Amino acid sequence: MNGVIIPITMVPGHSLVHRVAPLPKLLWALGVLIISFSTRNPVILGSIIVLGLLLVSISNIWKPFLRVIAILFPILLTLIVLQSVAPAFPRPWTPIVAFGPFTIYQEGIYSGVTMVMRAVGMTIFALVAIMTTHPSDLFVSLQGIGMPYVLNFILTMTLQLIPILQKEFATVLSAQKSRGLKGTGFGAVLPSMVPVFVGAIERVQQLSISLESRAFGSSGVKTSYRSVRMGFKDYILLALGFAATAATIYWIIVDKSLDWSRTLLFAPWLAILLVSLAALGFLTFALVALRYVLAA
Amino acid sequence: MDNAKPVIEIENLSFTYSTADKPALKNISLTIYEGEYVALLGLNGAGKTTLQLCLNAVIPNMIVGEKEGTVKTMGMDTEEYPPRELAKVIGLVFDNPEFQLSQMSVAEEIALGLENLGVPTEEMHKIIKDSLEAVGLSGMELRSPFELSGGQQQRLSIASALAMQPHILVMDEPTSNVDPIGKEEVFAVAAKLNKENKITVIMAEHEVEVMAAYADRIIVMNDGEVVFNGTPVEVFSNVELLEKIGLRVPQVTELAHLLKEKHNIKLADQYPVTIDQAEKILKQRL
Amino acid sequence: MADAIIVCEDLWHVYPGDILALQEANLKINAGEIVGVIGQNGSGKTTLVKHFNGLLKPTRGKVRIKGKDTNGMRIQQLARDVGYVFQNPNHQLFARTVEAELEFGPRNLGVSEEEIVERREKAIEFFKLQELRLLHPYRIGFPLRKLVGMASIYTMRPAVFILDEPTTGQDNVTTRTVYRLIRQLRDEGATVVCVAHDMILLAEVVDRMVVLRDARIIADAKPKEVFSNRELMQSTHLVPPQVAELSLRLMTAGKFPGIELNVSDMVAGLAGRLGK
Repeated sequence: MNGVIIPITMVPGHSLVHRVAPLPKLLWALGVLIISFSTRNPVILGSIIVLGLLLVSISNIWKPFLRVIAILFPILLTLIVLQSVAPAFPRPWTPIVAFGPFTIYQEGIYSGVTMVMRAVGMTIFALVAIMTTHPSDLFVSLQGIGMPYVLNFILTMTLQLIPILQKEFATVLSAQKSRGLKGTGFGAVLPSMVPVFVGAIERVQQLSISLESRAFGSSGVKTSYRSVRMGFKDYILLALGFAATAATIYWIIVDKSLDWSRTLLFAPWLAILLVSLAALGFLTFALVALRYVLAA
Repeated sequence: MDNAKPVIEIENLSFTYSTADKPALKNISLTIYEGEYVALLGLNGAGKTTLQLCLNAVIPNMIVGEKEGTVKTMGMDTEEYPPRELAKVIGLVFDNPEFQLSQMSVAEEIALGLENLGVPTEEMHKIIKDSLEAVGLSGMELRSPFELSGGQQQRLSIASALAMQPHILVMDEPTSNVDPIGKEEVFAVAAKLNKENKITVIMAEHEVEVMAAYADRIIVMNDGEVVFNGTPVEVFSNVELLEKIGLRVPQVTELAHLLKEKHNIKLADQYPVTIDQAEKILKQRL
Repeated sequence: MADAIIVCEDLWHVYPGDILALQEANLKINAGEIVGVIGQNGSGKTTLVKHFNGLLKPTRGKVRIKGKDTNGMRIQQLARDVGYVFQNPNHQLFARTVEAELEFGPRNLGVSEEEIVERREKAIEFFKLQELRLLHPYRIGFPLRKLVGMASIYTMRPAVFILDEPTTGQDNVTTRTVYRLIRQLRDEGATVVCVAHDMILLAEVVDRMVVLRDARIIADAKPKEVFSNRELMQSTHLVPPQVAELSLRLMTAGKFPGIELNVSDMVAGLAGRLGK
């Protein structure tokens, strides 16, 4: 499991997006989240995705971005498969075609496809925000709008700990293999988690004493080493974000014709094709992932 | 040290961890003066770490147990002030270089203490720069602490403690998990801070030869008690008593002792405790 | 003539990212030797010994354990012959009791239950773990945990023990215990390879020192030879034990015939010359 490092981290760069302050980026991601949950309209959701991809392009973060998508997307495909036979949608349902013991429903496919679009849209914006912002700046901004200092610290620490614990796990695994540990099944590997957790606990204990000894948690004014300044353009983007989100929400509430759930009809062949592709996509991914994990 | 100010005053200190049945510290009374370099020796479990944690109030504030007696650091009673208050006068460095680090860059690591003390941002940059220079890590502000060598990480922890401008620096086996080059670096920095910056250094270590050369005073602990307290020569001359406890003395001291005991040869009035002393004596005698 | 139990032929290792960690390493270790492998961090010493139990495979060249090429073998297979005791015992220990920890290794090797118990008892005796047998490994202090780590490899009865910094961070009592144990392992017929910074271990316990610097083996000789070589010691930033250093200085000044590696030998040497 050596190479499976969670690839969600800042990608260094000087693009336009990188130069925007953390707060506007966070707000835009939040706005996308709110809009995504307010509508199932494929055009709106699709536009969000296109806009997001445009930002990915500008920030030049394609490779790390695609690495995350490559893991996330196949998992999302299960939604299409599951939703098409059991829609999370108010009845009545319109059956399109029977597929073995299952029936594929119109609303199901619509629901599944739009769910995937929502997730993808939100993820793109979240990744753009995270990958173009230095974590410390991110946390300082959050602190600026009221997030407690301790929470900020916990998040920083967690980011640091993930790769460290992964390395620890790899070391523990090689130690156990050196004792003849056979089998790569989960049951064999599970006991190896114990040392990693114990190590993590010992580390945190030691760290907390070290922090107290450096006045951590003292009451009174706290200053910050990193200063994140908001420039004029950052305020503009912030305002734009508010406005765009508010306007879109208003439009969604007011315009009933945006709900295409019963009007966008899927032909039976399309329905089967979509579901089969989704299932295939997910299974391929699952097999590849399994082989990768077992080979380690 | 006649006119030196006491910086640590311990009276009748006893402490038992809440999960233990016997005391970790038994009735310890000790004074440490400003500017001293004190080495704390003893086997694992002798009480060195426990004693050090009492100095900056981690015991009794963060660690639960039964405490008796008083500990005053720079005049502040550790029952009345929490560690974060004492952080302004006493800094602690531990034996695991990596476990003390948490930030994304060297500069932020050092800034952590400063942020918590409310030091204005404009002043931070200079303090960080000076601290890094004092430990020989100039220019490393942007490096990730987790990519540094063990010796560098320890020096970073020292710098982080230094930034708070403490009077006292306490180090608990700082070179245990560090390679030989790193060991030298850490010992050199500690000696420099003591001699040039007049910081009182209290160091627990196993490297007796090094401590014999640097320390003004050696305190030996065994089983929760202080059994020896004096200059390196005074303490290490008790070769057999120390061996009984399980501790060893600098090899040159052991050498002088065996020459006396086994061959009735007296090298000098006092046992040598450093290699330079031994070299000088033997060059004359041979 | 003892057989070479570990052979490295023109061994190279390059880590991903083109990091050259070891080059042109040639080494033969015979059964029953106690070998110390030293060098600064980054010199390649740990990379070298990790090839002995298959944790690493050669990028170029060959490593043979008991005549068998490690390239075709898995770590679990090599574990029968080469036991690797990790520097941090916390990386190995996970069972509920020390006893269970000792049984883990041989059980993985398919040893019969009877034999497992026998080996477990022998290990408890050898390492003096009687008081600890039913305790949870994490409830034991760190120095004793390191001994439990060694013991849990001991029960696997490997022909070769690789000890990664066995005395680092230990106090004097545990350190002396480890020296004794290493000698006893050799008395039982094992070959011991120690990666260490402990100069006294190298001066008083090992038969032979293999010194690495910048990914190469730059010396492979008896401790007396290595410690006498000033240039070598300085270039690797290693400092001989105090007594060795003292004897060398006196030797340079013409006042003493040769290097001594431990206090007793030095005392004997001086007694003759000082007589009072």
